[in-house]
Amino acid sequence: MRKYHALLSIIAALSAGLTAPEAGISQSKPVTGIRENTPRVHALIHARIVQEPERIIEDGTIVLRDGYIAAVGAHVRPPADARIWDYSGLTVYPGFIEPCSQLGLPKKPDSVEKKTTKGTGYWNPYVRPETKIAATLEVKAEDLEKMRKQGFTAAVIAPETGIFTGASLLVSLSSGKLNENLLQTNLTQNIIFARPGRRNRSYPNSQMGVIALIRQTLLDAAWYQKAQRAYAVNPTRQKRPQYNSSLQVLAEALQTKQVFAIKSKNDLNTLRALKIIREFGLNAWLIGNGEEYRHLAALKKSRVPMIIPLNFPQAPAVDSPEEALNVSLRELNHWETAPANARFVNKAGIPFAFTTSGLTNPADFRKNIIRAITQGLPKETALAALTMVPATVLGIDQQLGSIDRGKLAHLLVTDGDFFDSKSTLCSVWINGQHHSITQVPVADPRGSWSLSLEIPGDVRQSKLSLTGKPEKLNGILSIDSLKIKLKKAALDIRRITLLIPGDSLGYGGIIRLSGEVLKNRLAGAGLLPDGQRFQWQARRTAGNDEPEKKRTTGKIAGKITKSIPHDSYSYGKLPVQAPVIFVKGGTIWTSGPKGRIEADMLIIRGKIAQVGKNIVVPANAKTIDATDKHITPGLIDAHSHSGIHQGVNESSQAVTAEVRVADVIDPGAIALYRELAGGLTIINQLHGSANPIGGQNSVIKLRWGGDAQALRLKDAQPGIKFALGENVKQSNRGDKFTSRYPQTRMGVEQIIFDRFKAARDYESAWTTYNALKNKIGVIPPRRDLELETLLEILQGKRAIHCHAYRQDEILMLVRIADYFGFKIGAFQHVLEGYKVADILAKHGAGASTFSDWWAYKFEVYDAIPYNGAIMHNAGVVVSFNSDDAELARRMNLEAAKAVKYGGLAEEEALKFATLYPAKQLHIDHRVGSLEKGKDGDFVVWSGHPLSTFSRCEQTWIEGRKYFDLVQDLEMQKNIEKERARIIQKILTTGAKSKQPKGKN
Amino acid sequence: MKNKAAQIYTGLALGILSLALMSRLSASDEIPGKKQSHPIALIGGTIHTVSGTTIENGYILFEKGKITAIGDSGTFPDSTEKIDVAGKHVYPGLIAANTRIGLVEITAVRSTRDFAEVTAIKPNIRAESAINPDSELLPVTRANGITVVHTLPAGGLIAGTSAAIMLDGWTWEDLTLRAPIGLVVNWPFMGNKRSSVSAKKAKDQKKRRDESIKQIRDIFADARAYLKAQEAEIAAGGPLHASDIRLEALAPVLNKEIPVLLQARSLKEIQAAIDWAMAEDLDAVLMTGADVRFALSLLKEKKIPVIYEGTLALPSRRWEPYDTRFTVPAKLYEAGVKFCISSRGSAFDAAHERNLPYQAAMAAAFGLPRDVALKSITLYAAQILGIADHVGSLETGKDATLIVTDGDPLEIRTQIEMQFIQGRKVQLTSKHTRLNEKYKIKYSRK
Repeated sequence: MRKYHALLSIIAALSAGLTAPEAGISQSKPVTGIRENTPRVHALIHARIVQEPERIIEDGTIVLRDGYIAAVGAHVRPPADARIWDYSGLTVYPGFIEPCSQLGLPKKPDSVEKKTTKGTGYWNPYVRPETKIAATLEVKAEDLEKMRKQGFTAAVIAPETGIFTGASLLVSLSSGKLNENLLQTNLTQNIIFARPGRRNRSYPNSQMGVIALIRQTLLDAAWYQKAQRAYAVNPTRQKRPQYNSSLQVLAEALQTKQVFAIKSKNDLNTLRALKIIREFGLNAWLIGNGEEYRHLAALKKSRVPMIIPLNFPQAPAVDSPEEALNVSLRELNHWETAPANARFVNKAGIPFAFTTSGLTNPADFRKNIIRAITQGLPKETALAALTMVPATVLGIDQQLGSIDRGKLAHLLVTDGDFFDSKSTLCSVWINGQHHSITQVPVADPRGSWSLSLEIPGDVRQSKLSLTGKPEKLNGILSIDSLKIKLKKAALDIRRITLLIPGDSLGYGGIIRLSGEVLKNRLAGAGLLPDGQRFQWQARRTAGNDEPEKKRTTGKIAGKITKSIPHDSYSYGKLPVQAPVIFVKGGTIWTSGPKGRIEADMLIIRGKIAQVGKNIVVPANAKTIDATDKHITPGLIDAHSHSGIHQGVNESSQAVTAEVRVADVIDPGAIALYRELAGGLTIINQLHGSANPIGGQNSVIKLRWGGDAQALRLKDAQPGIKFALGENVKQSNRGDKFTSRYPQTRMGVEQIIFDRFKAARDYESAWTTYNALKNKIGVIPPRRDLELETLLEILQGKRAIHCHAYRQDEILMLVRIADYFGFKIGAFQHVLEGYKVADILAKHGAGASTFSDWWAYKFEVYDAIPYNGAIMHNAGVVVSFNSDDAELARRMNLEAAKAVKYGGLAEEEALKFATLYPAKQLHIDHRVGSLEKGKDGDFVVWSGHPLSTFSRCEQTWIEGRKYFDLVQDLEMQKNIEKERARIIQKILTTGAKSKQPKGKN
Repeated sequence: MKNKAAQIYTGLALGILSLALMSRLSASDEIPGKKQSHPIALIGGTIHTVSGTTIENGYILFEKGKITAIGDSGTFPDSTEKIDVAGKHVYPGLIAANTRIGLVEITAVRSTRDFAEVTAIKPNIRAESAINPDSELLPVTRANGITVVHTLPAGGLIAGTSAAIMLDGWTWEDLTLRAPIGLVVNWPFMGNKRSSVSAKKAKDQKKRRDESIKQIRDIFADARAYLKAQEAEIAAGGPLHASDIRLEALAPVLNKEIPVLLQARSLKEIQAAIDWAMAEDLDAVLMTGADVRFALSLLKEKKIPVIYEGTLALPSRRWEPYDTRFTVPAKLYEAGVKFCISSRGSAFDAAHERNLPYQAAMAAAFGLPRDVALKSITLYAAQILGIADHVGSLETGKDATLIVTDGDPLEIRTQIEMQFIQGRKVQLTSKHTRLNEKYKIKYSRK
């Protein structure tokens, strides 16, 4: 499927086995001096050949000709014209392929934003798929050498500037001009699946914005092609579509099923990238972050191949007990589990390649692979991850990946098993060119010698021992029991210099020896301190056999901690739904027509079957004794930002209806668990209030332990965040924020009004197009995710949750809604709602307010705690919200403030955190009260739920217990234990701990 | 009855009128209480003395702003105004031990922020001199039973001295119960900032930290030298030394007349700040968060009291229990460390200080005995702030600064029905009740 890639002609020629007479120099460059035509025919004989994992020739020959493999086998005879290389004792592997490097790319790329006006690209500067990196690529010779030293012979170079960053190249890692080494251009299209920076002022500056941009861009690419084709068919009498180089490139990539290499920087984004891959049917591979072990099931299901890094973390700093407090369990877990990541990924059956990217020291690459193998990764898989897997995924397996006839001569030569730390990497062959890695010393004087100093009249016999490395020798001279440490022992090619402190030999000063090193003999001339010359020689008595270093065999990490989520406060397994639950006794606050009653409750398969007295209890019921306890519906928070990952606001633009909070749910956010512990069961995850028209909301049930999708409450009416007043005018953001439209409340009205008009126009465009009988040659309207969303509001399919404070702006939006004929879902905060309660009631908008916040900015100076009660009394559906992960843990106590301020009945006040927010989210058919047929979402309280002295003891969702005081204590203990265990492991193994760095 | 209603409406109308006439930010409409002119007895309620026994169906008598008698039955001077509080509860006024009240009106409006002066070392700054008696925040806070607040200056390393402020009076002098209370020392951040935004190299952070600590050490050494030189000058009539108001301001601290209020949050900071204060031989009060639970024995050994900055906050580390902040007061109590409970004391909290009792209630829900929870926002706060001779409990000789409620003030549903500050009956109305009444009229007209 990847055969369409046009290979450069040189490769084509080589693969076809044709000879290129001028191989080795540029094919178009005139020869200015004397031609060099050293024959490029080599036969590597008696080698152990690992053609690919599990296909090994123990004693064979490889014939290289003009850069390709001409023959390989056990019985191949070296051709007559070949230079013979005796590889007895050596092993030959296919050269390794680095699948995503940044070799030769500028370290600090220019700011993306500066490039907006040049060229014919996409409107957004982060979308730059047309980027060609070859022209400016400058790979340093030392970087190439570093890669070769690790056994790599080819590398993919992928641009990393932007989001759609451009196409990658495949190069071989030989020195010389790029012309010779460039194997393929336009290999993969690359996406960096991460926000450019949270401080970024331009779109996108949130992860949800990044995802929205990727989505819209891919849609635009598909549309672009349709539009261009339609125009080609009918170039008259219709508006000419613009040219766009970015969309052109992407359209081709989509059409030809080019590989999209998508890089995410954290585990959650890896999963989100999978979603986009699925949504658009991309042919992709994913560049992970080393935490793949956290999500094996999801990755396995997707069957998308992966690239995984080998940058294992250093041990967290735990020496000082104070500092250890700041180390998270996740960090400790990752230190322990990271080396086993590849093993787990392999076990899950996910095809993967390794990358060196992310390693600060390239030499850690082999060390870490060996660690991964110590952790149980099969060697064969590791080898495949460096050779065949990347070759296959990239569609270059005809040229690279194994040692087979016809492929490029990319080989690695070692003196033993690559995965044995004792083996040395000797050389690599790249396109038939030999690059040595280890300089084999010409002479090696290490060992024991019998030394004779033939000083006239004073011949001395002694023993000389030379140890260390050839470039850094240590010498000890022994005469009888006397041991003299040499002041210096140095080797320069074949000549050795020895400096002997002369005192103990009876010569004040230093005796200097200089001599030639032969295999078993040293000989030369010496100088006594006084300048007198003499001869010396030495005979070898023993070779260089230093004691072997002990191999570090780290213990196998064993199983993955099976905690869900893989972090603090995780369950051993997900809560199980009890088929029948009987809540016995207690005071039940139904938040329904029955009010507050002393009663029992029966829940069957997660749904409430009965609330009342005299319930016939099925035999298999699990009974909760609630005698003297209070039971309320699970609490609901209609305004939350908990569990929104990497940016609550896409604050770069005034209108961002296309961004979706549901794209960035963080199901492991600890806030969610802490909220459960306060009896909260449902939250409305809202986009922030930076924009007049913000992003789409997400309503989730706090099914802690589930993944993002499992948390979603899909029955909830789709919603969107709007905002008015000081935040969207950027009033409190300082002097740098004075130019974005709007800067006044007048402007806020107009931009909202204009966008709704635009949505109507968009609707008309589609209606007209869809009505056409013959669409051939007609440019279709472009799908616009922003306007589509706004249109849903006009069509009554999506509810507005509008952040507002002052009565004027509240009234303004009500009037806009009246004009366009839709109903506003709920005003958020709405602290001057009490001034226009009658208007809110008449329009039918809900009010989700703070119980008693005020005076934190000018527009809330008139906020009063009676607001909730006044609006309620005027007939508005009122809820109290948190907007805050701490406050969200005690929404029952917020509800109590409606009793204090405004004197509501207690049962009515509680509904501010149960039934009424459920109504605002249009989920009151399922939750919000304890009534027959609704979800079994309830809380067991130690006492009156509006009392500050009561505690939440248990939180249940759909018949599953998600929080329990006893269970929580158990988890606390486990966390302590687990932390202590890993910290001890770090301390006892003496793992090199990282000094706490500024950056985590 | 009718008359009373008429009065209310007149008052209301006046209120609305003044609203219309005055700039919105100028002044609250509540009128300070009249100086107590005659003895007042609250009779028939439950008297929660806090320091002693709780007396059911008792009385409390106060004259000229001071409590003169408490008991279950007694005789009163002839001129005594007798107020029937049967079925009600009498408590000492609540004390907020960590606020910016009076120094900020609207957090986001710079012109209303007066709590943080520039420069790092400013011991001469004093909070009381900038308290705005007409801040709308005062009546709002008072309305929920808080009668005295401890207002602290902020910013820099040494922020200045704090003041105990009564929430009633015409001028800041009237309002000040006692000042200075303590010298605010913001202990420098000791660890490594881990967030990438403010990421600096560990070395740079340490350097900055060490420089900051040196600044604190140096100013105290300078102050000692200055005082020594002053003494010598007084004794010998010279040589003369030019004055330095920063160093002069440190004299009461060095003389242990007032403590240093050590603001230190992480364990490392707590340890370092205490080490410093002990080395300097100072009286110290620690203002801190949940990490204090790791330093209990140190605090007990050094007899350092703690202003615990609130239960209603999140744990700072992911692995910590959800109730980390809730359970700390019980741990302080069990360890025998002197403590009181406050809010976090931010500018935002200033407007929401009325919720202080619920900080204490949460501690009670999580293991602190209920009577201790009440003490943690009354008597203990007064003792730690050095104002227990005036407030904190209902005892003869103390100020008649008290509240009358229909229940436990730690419960949200409880209403505060009456309040006296030094015997002055104060209004419990506020901007909030005024607007509530105003819009009641709007909807009653329909």
